[in-house]
Amino acid sequence: MVESRAVAMLRRQLTELNKNPVDGFSAGLIDESDIFKWEVLVMGPPDTFYDGGCFKAHLVFPHDYPLKPPKMKFISEIWHPNIDKNGDVCISILHEPGEDKWGYESPAERWVPVHTVETILLSVISMLADPNDQSPANVDAAKDWRLDYQGEFKRKVKRCVRKTEDM
Amino acid sequence: MGNCLQGQTSDDISLLHDETEALTVDRRGPPPPYRPRDDAPVYHVTPAQRRTVNQLSEEEQIRIAKRIGLIQHLPTGQYDGSKKIRECVICMLDFQIGDPVRFLPCMHIYHTKCIDDWLMRSFTCPSCLEPVEAALLSSYHDAAQ
Repeated sequence: MVESRAVAMLRRQLTELNKNPVDGFSAGLIDESDIFKWEVLVMGPPDTFYDGGCFKAHLVFPHDYPLKPPKMKFISEIWHPNIDKNGDVCISILHEPGEDKWGYESPAERWVPVHTVETILLSVISMLADPNDQSPANVDAAKDWRLDYQGEFKRKVKRCVRKTEDM
Repeated sequence: MGNCLQGQTSDDISLLHDETEALTVDRRGPPPPYRPRDDAPVYHVTPAQRRTVNQLSEEEQIRIAKRIGLIQHLPTGQYDGSKKIRECVICMLDFQIGDPVRFLPCMHIYHTKCIDDWLMRSFTCPSCLEPVEAALLSSYHDAAQ
C-alpha cells in the first residue's frame, strides 16, 4: 500500500521531469526496471567554481517515500564542504526529523513529505553555490573553503570540473 | 498493562504443524535464524526509530497511543471543493470531491491516509512546519477562555 504510493509518485515525477525539464539538472533511472534508483546530472551553478561541470549523482528512494527521504550520493568526484569524500550528500532537508544530536538543524530544515526530486535538486544546487560550513561532511573541503577560497579550494573544485568534462 | 496496539489477532498455529513434521525427520539442522515477522504492524517512535509492535517498550507504547489519540482529535471530513487548497501535497494528487481529508490547526488539509502516516512519525504540518501538538493545545486553550 505504502510502496504502491511511492511507485506511483516517483513515476509521476519522472514523467513530469521528462516532459518539463528543470534548469540545472536532468534526471532518469539507473535501471529502467527500478523506479527507486535515479541517476541525475547536476550542472555546476553559474558564477561558482563548479560552473561548466556536469556531476553525476544517484538518488535512492526508500520504499516508504515520501514519508522518508532518499539518499543522495555523487558518483562524480566533487570537492565540497557538505559532500563527504564518498560522495554522500549531507544536507539538512535529507535528514529525517527527530532528535538532532548535533543541535545544528531546526526541525523546519528537515525532511518533510512534500519534497520532490525537483525541490531536492534545487536545494542541492543552492548548496553547491552556498555551502553551509556549520556542519561540514568534508572537513578538509570546509577548511579550504574558509581559509583558502581563491587558492586551494578553487584548484580542487576546478580539477573535479575538468574530470567531469572528460567523461 | 496489556498491549493495546493492534497486533496479531489470532494465535499462530503454523509452528505447531511444523513441529509435528520436523519430528518425523531424523537429522534436524540448527533452527533458522530469528526473523521479525513481516506482517507485524510497524510504528515509528521517532521517524528514524522503526519498531514492530512487539519490539515496543511499554513507555513507547504509551507515547504512540497518545499520538494516535491526538491525531484522532484533529477534525476530518470530505473534500467538498470549497477550499482554496486543491492538491494533497503529500501524494501530489488533486483532491476529488468526497475524498476523506483531515484538517490541521494551521488550516492545511491533506488526504486522511497521507497525513496520518506522516503524523505517526512527526507531529508537524508538512507545508508550514507548524508543530501540530502546540497548535492543538493552544486551540483548546482559546476555546476554554
